[in-house]
Amino acid sequence: MNSSPAIEPDAPDLVCQLDNVQGMVDALTCVRWKRHQDALVELSEHGIVLIVEESGCLQAKVYLQRELFTKYEYGAEGRPRFGISLGLLVDCLNTFSSPGHSNTIEIKYPGPDMELLLKSVDTLNSCIYSEIRTRIPETSEWDYNFEQAGTAPLTFTVKSAALKEAIDDLEWPGSSVQISLQKSPPCVTFRGEGHGDLQIDFMYYANTDLLLAFHCDTEVSYGYKYKFLKATTANIPGNVARENRGSKLTIGRGGMLKVQHLVSVAKALAPQVESAGYQPPSRIAYIEFFVKPEETA
Amino acid sequence: MKFKAFLTENGVNLLEKRFLPAFDKMGKTCYLFLTKDHLFFLHNLLNGDGVQCIAQFRIDVLFDDYRISSQNDDRIAFSLDVSLLYRAVKSSVSICTEFSGGLASNRLQIKLVKKLPPNCTQPMPFLTFETKGYKSAVIQDVPISKPLSRSQVVELQTALDSAQDLPPTLVQVQDPNQLQNFVDRMKHVGDVLNVTISKHGDLQVQISTTLIRLGSEFQRLTVIGEKSQAPAEDRNLSAQARSERAIARGDAQSVEVSVKHFLKSLQCHLTKPDSAFYGIAPQGACLTVIFQFLVPGTRQTDKSISLHCRLPVLDSGSN
Repeated sequence: MNSSPAIEPDAPDLVCQLDNVQGMVDALTCVRWKRHQDALVELSEHGIVLIVEESGCLQAKVYLQRELFTKYEYGAEGRPRFGISLGLLVDCLNTFSSPGHSNTIEIKYPGPDMELLLKSVDTLNSCIYSEIRTRIPETSEWDYNFEQAGTAPLTFTVKSAALKEAIDDLEWPGSSVQISLQKSPPCVTFRGEGHGDLQIDFMYYANTDLLLAFHCDTEVSYGYKYKFLKATTANIPGNVARENRGSKLTIGRGGMLKVQHLVSVAKALAPQVESAGYQPPSRIAYIEFFVKPEETA
Repeated sequence: MKFKAFLTENGVNLLEKRFLPAFDKMGKTCYLFLTKDHLFFLHNLLNGDGVQCIAQFRIDVLFDDYRISSQNDDRIAFSLDVSLLYRAVKSSVSICTEFSGGLASNRLQIKLVKKLPPNCTQPMPFLTFETKGYKSAVIQDVPISKPLSRSQVVELQTALDSAQDLPPTLVQVQDPNQLQNFVDRMKHVGDVLNVTISKHGDLQVQISTTLIRLGSEFQRLTVIGEKSQAPAEDRNLSAQARSERAIARGDAQSVEVSVKHFLKSLQCHLTKPDSAFYGIAPQGACLTVIFQFLVPGTRQTDKSISLHCRLPVLDSGSN
């Protein structure tokens, strides 16, 4: 009846609340190997995925399932995607995690100008707010197709802290690391050559507290650029070591390496509860890295 | 000119544990301005550039047996390197403790002297710290500038007087550490901080760049000076909208300061103030922060110590 154009506010694609910002900071910091990185964010009714990539050789994904959030209202059709600066997002979220502030944050997308909107919740007389510009993402898909190597997966699970230490130690030999899986005796070897040699062996039967699982039916060996391998463990948050978590490594067809970590997003519980080792699955963020082997250009 | 005094135990504690660590962060050099009644530490007062920091102590807070005389109304001023002063006080304290063996009579004397340093032909002025222990005396000389001339002292006094103007509205931040924590994390995001202060008791700090706007709002803070009530219809607006409307009404002012300067002024938290008051000078000339010290065990302001900073404004926001 009324001829004046009514501007109906659309429901936002996503409004969600998280009760522990620090957890999200920890998860995203895991994939921050440079000060400035552009990330691709994809929203769906299952949760939020953030993807970063470097020079066609290294890709990382952070999966934040909807169960991590205390509220998750999804109103989009399809799966909205946008580009955002990872460094800016992490530094911004970090300000919400200041001591003395409530850790609960509300995230909304999109704002009037397609921004990502953040604001603190449940604080009495003070609040923190932020609007971050987003970009239209590039349309080309990154080529990180991960396929199983053979009839059975080639995979091993190693204590995350031990993996990080091994990779840190491999810094001095040189710029390339060879990862080999041997069937018998079952063993994973990390080897670096260059300024001297360093070889680190994880024997399956010898160190069952370090090498937690191992499946290998064909022996394989691939080389990976050190700096990309380092990026997969450099920023693992402290709670991963404290909670004794394991990281799963899988070598796919052509030598593509997949590294998976679990990062707790829950609030820190009392020490005796943490040491029980059990975390409800929904309070964990999944981090995945894909590293292309050196042979592939 | 003559200056000689004994530092009291309270004075040594104040300087060594609280004030000198903060002054050390404020800037490399500062003026020491001594009068019959007060001692001032003055940073950046005469050069227009950085954060101005003015600290004032009543003589009896720091000294016993204070003697000063000069041809300039018994006022003496000179500049020195703060870190050298801090170091001298710190080591004097450890010497005192080492040699005192429980004797309370060990006293730290401070005086102005002229000495001939090694490899020099001319005597130079020093601030000397002397500890007379049981069996030996330890002397530490802190080099200082030539004491200021009469006209220079007048210039200093004038700058000091104009720096004492209070902004018309001040809001009280009860927990300065919370603000410090927040701005410390914000510094990774941008260089320029927009500060808005309203007569309703709202303080908003915000960084804006082409890619991000990030801010924090503190509401219902105690107001000193000109105050007014926030209109009820503003209550549910966003922080941004609220401050825009308050500025339009003339109830708030907004200025931009450098994040680095703001963080520097927050170093004054090392003096352990009980709270901080923020205000914007008329015409947005500068951002003023006044630190409040309470008499221990009471809620009364300790008027014998005062500390405030004035931050240069980068670009005047809307008045």
